[in-house]
Amino acid sequence: MTDRSLDMLIDEVVLGLASDEDRRRLQALAAQDADVASRLEQARQRFAPLDDTATPLPLPEGLWDRIAARLDKADAPAAEVIDLAQVRARLGQWRRAALGAVAACLVMAVALGWSLLSVAEPLVVAVLLDSEGQAVALIESGEDNRTQVTLLERPDLPADRVMQVWTKPDADGPPVSLGLLAGGASRTLTIRGLPAPGPSQLYEITSEPAGGSPTDLPTGPILGVGLAKKPVI
Amino acid sequence: MLGVAARMLRRRDLAEDAVQDAFVLIWRRAAQFDPGRGSAKGWLYTILRNRCLTMLRREDREIATEMSELETVSGADLVDQAFDGLERSTGLRQCLERLDAPTRLAILSAYVLGHSHGEIAGRLDTPLGTVKARVRRGLLKLRECLS
Repeated sequence: MTDRSLDMLIDEVVLGLASDEDRRRLQALAAQDADVASRLEQARQRFAPLDDTATPLPLPEGLWDRIAARLDKADAPAAEVIDLAQVRARLGQWRRAALGAVAACLVMAVALGWSLLSVAEPLVVAVLLDSEGQAVALIESGEDNRTQVTLLERPDLPADRVMQVWTKPDADGPPVSLGLLAGGASRTLTIRGLPAPGPSQLYEITSEPAGGSPTDLPTGPILGVGLAKKPVI
Repeated sequence: MLGVAARMLRRRDLAEDAVQDAFVLIWRRAAQFDPGRGSAKGWLYTILRNRCLTMLRREDREIATEMSELETVSGADLVDQAFDGLERSTGLRQCLERLDAPTRLAILSAYVLGHSHGEIAGRLDTPLGTVKARVRRGLLKLRECLS
């Protein structure tokens, strides 16, 4: 297969346009060839930002129980080899416990964008206040500028507006966008190329048109603003 | 994850089924996950998207006729929302902007809504061959633009 047709196959698989047969063929190739696997991953990463644009929906109650129940059932035939009901029951318990832990980790990790792992000890923390002095958001940022934004109030924004988070790495320089809070939800934002954040660094959230500020500088009203402090750890 | 599934399947109940199926698969295949080969998040979403695609391709007709709560939003609107939700500073958005509108719509419909070549052709009232060629040209441009 030429490089070009391989790249096209990879793109079509990632996009979801390839046949099942093509998808399996590519998976088999990727399993054997690290270069194919890395190209596949790069293609996924190209389109991954689109996954974050979906409106977040809460998972229904009882979902983990239903998953655990299905795993127990599916595992039963394999457990017959042991042929001890007790062992099977205990296995089920262990699996449920392990699944619960794994599931909880996955959910938290996905929902918080790995924030628990990455911003364990923030370098700076800022509390953003609105014009009436109410705390609206908590900012925690690490050495690499991975910034966890926890909203403290449910934002009241029209559908065509979005919250955009900014910081001023240089007190006299222009604000730099850290990213958007799509769907008005708390998120961890990542950005590269900025110096590590320091005390007294300004953070703010503004209301911008959907898609973010058209000028790459804040254009809308400030929803919250604050200066960073170094936490006492 | 549920949001991504609901956008593709257009029904909350089916989306919940898809997430459930995906997590069962994730649990079973956890040993296959190799952090050296990509992010965990990407892996989770890939399994979920593939599950949704399988459901879409199999139950195409049922979904098309029984859309309920999520059907109030049209597919075109969902695609627009996804595009608008991309930050302007991301390469993907900038490169998508450089494509002509029908090509962009075709590529986004495939990824966001899980549409097949045939569905895209039907909705845009364009011959299938044209859609396939257009998507391929668009993907090539995107790849060059983003590399």
